[in-house]
Amino acid sequence: MINSKKIVLVGHFGVGKTSLIRRFVNNIFTEDYKVTIGVHIFKKEIEVNNTKLTFVIWDLEGKDDVEKVRKSHLIGTSGFIYVFDPTRNTTYNNIDVEVDYLKSNYPKAQLLTIANKVDLIDQKAFRQEVNFPIDFFTSAKTSENVEAIFNQLGLNFLTNG
Amino acid sequence: MNDSEKLVALKELLLSEDREFALKILQKLESVETTLNEESLLSEKVNPIVDKKLDTFADEIPSKLGPTITEALKVQIRDSQDQVVEALFPIIGKMIKKYIQQEMKNLSESINSQVQSTFSVKKWKRKFKSIFTGVSEEKIILSEMAKPKVDQVFIIEKGSGLLIANVSKEEDNIDKDMIAGMLTAIKSFVEDAFAKEEQSLELIQYEFYNIYIQNLASYYVAAVISGSFNSDFKEQLEDKILDFASKHKKEKLVEDSKTTNKLIESLFND
Repeated sequence: MINSKKIVLVGHFGVGKTSLIRRFVNNIFTEDYKVTIGVHIFKKEIEVNNTKLTFVIWDLEGKDDVEKVRKSHLIGTSGFIYVFDPTRNTTYNNIDVEVDYLKSNYPKAQLLTIANKVDLIDQKAFRQEVNFPIDFFTSAKTSENVEAIFNQLGLNFLTNG
Repeated sequence: MNDSEKLVALKELLLSEDREFALKILQKLESVETTLNEESLLSEKVNPIVDKKLDTFADEIPSKLGPTITEALKVQIRDSQDQVVEALFPIIGKMIKKYIQQEMKNLSESINSQVQSTFSVKKWKRKFKSIFTGVSEEKIILSEMAKPKVDQVFIIEKGSGLLIANVSKEEDNIDKDMIAGMLTAIKSFVEDAFAKEEQSLELIQYEFYNIYIQNLASYYVAAVISGSFNSDFKEQLEDKILDFASKHKKEKLVEDSKTTNKLIESLFND
């Protein structure tokens, strides 16, 4: 039985999707920004509750509207990670609509919303400022909560099949 | 003491220091003159300075002279192409000739060893084939050498791009899960970009390899083929894959990848 899961990171340009993956997979972080073109594939094996899972992670190029993402890249996804940048409100102004779109089109997939670059903001103040649910505040730079996202996804897969 | 004696004594008093000084200068001048005239003495002094300068110069050649030399060469090549070709042609020609000779020698040795293998069943088959078809044995061997063969097979879930099974003839360190993902991404990109009705990516050519893709209902098969991929071989492979797909549903293949790997080994057979 294969225990591989397709994970897709979506979100606007420059929110730190690639940095999050590189921190998770290779444990590295660089300040230089290289825009992702098309898609990059990464892989990481993790163990959750004594169960080995293989995550094949699709790092998609940033889009300001999730509906513009190539459908063929989203099909067959087991878990979405919606990443936004709390220092740029354009990256989360429309988050409700975008998350609804993913949930309604891919109802079987797990979905987590991530506020990345938490090292640049006051977390509490930001939570009070916005009224949408945020699953994790992360920082690819300091590695805060990066592993936690993927562990949570793993737990969700085991719980929900 | 008369006047002249007094004068001499006075001169002695006044000029003795200057005389000593002049004498010392004279001695030094003589020493310098000897050093300059004696080659061994001069080289003892000068050689270390010249050596140091040469070392520095050699170190600085790439940075100081590199761009100038490159520029000069560019100009020289541009302005005298014929002369450059004339100069290089014999050297490159010899290299190519030698390489081809070596390759021909290898090929000839390989053909000879196959022709001379007296006890091989293949040899007798080939002999009969040669007699009946009128094609020389050597030509048949040549066609056999370029025969296409399946080196690797991937069974990949459609959509997710997750690897269901993979069998490879040779061990390698390439991550199969990532290949499956990337193949799926490339496939979906091409199919989206050039979508005309129900068409799909069928073949990727990669230098000496062809990656043949056969789409099925819920998964697709990607076969990596070396040798000269031709339509006969494609048809045979297509039949084998379709036959395989009619017998094995995705759910069964996913259940036990080891059994699936054994099943797809049949695709390697001639």
